[in-house]
Amino acid sequence: MVETVKNGQGTLVYEAVGLKKHYDGGKVAALRGVDLQIRQGEFVAIVGPSGCGKSTLLQMLGSLATASEGVLNYRGQSIADMADPSEYRAHEIGFVFQSFHLLPTFTVAENVQIPMFEGGSSRAQRIERATELLRSVGLEHRLTHFPSELSGGERQRVAIARGLANKPTVVLADEPTGNLDSVNAKQIIELLLKLHRDLGVTLVLVTHDLAIADLATRTIRMKDGRVISDSGVTPPTDSP
Amino acid sequence: MTFFTIVVRGLIRRPVRTGLTLVGISIGIAAVVALVGMAWGYEKSIEKQLDVIGVDLLVSNMSAGIMPKVFDEKIQEKIAKLPHVAETTSVLMQLLSIEDAPMMMVSGREWGGFTWNKLKIVEGRMPKDGSEQAVVLGTLAAEVLKKKVGDTVQVETSELAVVGIVDGGAVVENGAIILPISVMQEATGNQGRINFVDIRLTPNTPKQTVEELGKQIQVIFPEGRARDASEVVSANQGFRIARAMSWSTSLLAIVVGVLGVMNTMLMTVFERTHEIGILLAVGWKRRRIVYMVLCESALLGFLGGVTGVTLGALGLKILEFTPAIRGLLEPDLSPKLMLISVAIAVVVGVISGLYPAWRSSRLSPSLAIHG
Ligand SMILES: Nc1ncnc2c1ncn2[C@@H]1O[C@H](COP(=O)(O)OP(=O)(O)OP(=O)(O)O)[C@@H](O)[C@H]1O
Ligand SMILES: [Mg+2]
Repeated sequence: MVETVKNGQGTLVYEAVGLKKHYDGGKVAALRGVDLQIRQGEFVAIVGPSGCGKSTLLQMLGSLATASEGVLNYRGQSIADMADPSEYRAHEIGFVFQSFHLLPTFTVAENVQIPMFEGGSSRAQRIERATELLRSVGLEHRLTHFPSELSGGERQRVAIARGLANKPTVVLADEPTGNLDSVNAKQIIELLLKLHRDLGVTLVLVTHDLAIADLATRTIRMKDGRVISDSGVTPPTDSP
Repeated sequence: MTFFTIVVRGLIRRPVRTGLTLVGISIGIAAVVALVGMAWGYEKSIEKQLDVIGVDLLVSNMSAGIMPKVFDEKIQEKIAKLPHVAETTSVLMQLLSIEDAPMMMVSGREWGGFTWNKLKIVEGRMPKDGSEQAVVLGTLAAEVLKKKVGDTVQVETSELAVVGIVDGGAVVENGAIILPISVMQEATGNQGRINFVDIRLTPNTPKQTVEELGKQIQVIFPEGRARDASEVVSANQGFRIARAMSWSTSLLAIVVGVLGVMNTMLMTVFERTHEIGILLAVGWKRRRIVYMVLCESALLGFLGGVTGVTLGALGLKILEFTPAIRGLLEPDLSPKLMLISVAIAVVVGVISGLYPAWRSSRLSPSLAIHG
């Protein structure tokens, strides 16, 4: 079922209705019913106190975790019903995590190439694309270094390059600056802003930093597994 | 970087563990190579011996033991009269402990028969006649016994003179003590008895006629059977036991190998929960992760197989020169055996990887990479 909803602000990318997530057989409720719409080209910042369910929501958007209840669609298609969510993860989205999650036994260039194995490109194409991506994050001189030889900011730039490996339309970033000092954090945020601006990538960013949230086109506040405020210009409408 | 690079990287990240696992597999495979190589070599040596001597059919009673039972030498005369039989010669051959050597082939041969023809004198001479109390030694037998022309050798009850050293063209021949049959019969108390009749057929005897001949021999000698070289090998109990033992020991080695590789791969998978989670998060299909784990364990098996074959080949070479074995058999290190062994190792790798691969495919990416 592909159903693209259009209004003045572009195609609907994500739509969540009554999204819930329980852990430990219902003892922990991480999400208690989230309704949400995210459109093409938005830069959405998600803020809220620790443990309110931000990471859980982001993982569900990225099909890394499944909903206990409710509906979550990506471009009109239920993520839970995707025949092959790895296809979606490989080609539609790019992840950026707080703790980078690079593979320690692979070089910078190799880390960026890892997702491309799902893309059917040749070895030469992979190398070329990885080099190009690393140049765009200013790391073309560190191709053969291992992650342990890099600073935190540099590692996060590698992770961003990796997230872009298969030209995703959505980037999901979970506190990408959480482990960085302010100088490096600024660089990373500028990089993400550039992606959003120049490539038109839809950016969903979880952060604690309100200054960063201010840069977003929209801020969603969460508390106790619920959305408590949404600066989205148009309030969600049920039918046109 | 290719997929293969990723597979290799998975193995070399833990060099010690990978190395130990390799040692484990290669010892197993080396055992397979050495044992099966010996069993096959045993068979091949006999086939080659019969071929060198020029025996087409061999009549014996193989109902018991490693060496056939003795029977009355008159049977030979009857067989000689059958059609298509060009030549016959009688043999009394036994595996005996000779002085310091635990097991030696001692072959008493009808004097003047064709079994003497292919022996080339290296030193000394042949026995003067069929009753001289003398032996010739194959070159390997001479080495094993440390005997020269002019020495004597004790064969059961007789002390016999070593009059010559011969080259028989096959390891089993060279490992044997060869003497006139009547001398052998006397030494072993088997007067009038033999345990082989070697037959040469008229050239180009059709296969069907050979079978017919076999039936006629059966009439003359109901307990015995005429066999060609390959049948001799497969009918012999000793060969069968050697074969069964080598394969069952090999099986044990393989089971140990499987457990070793499985353990290593399981540890690898558990240790790499986090990494596998990352791979899933960046879009790797579960199938690709399963394939990666299987490739790693297959590669482990392959490398273990190659080292194992090398070790096994070395072992066989050493065995070949062990006095106890020397001259009895020529280990068979055929390309076939090497290929089979490496293939076994790869299969061991893949089988051992199945469960770990399955486990890896069940990992949840969100648990692996929270935060
Ligand atoms: N695998 C899990 N098992 C049990 N409980 C979990 C699991 N993952 C998350 N939770 C719980 O769900 C709730 C939401 O967690 P989540 O990680 O989404 O919070 P968060 O908003 O990202 O917090 P932070 O800002 O500290 O990262 C928390 O109470 C957390 O303990
Ligand atoms: Mg979080």
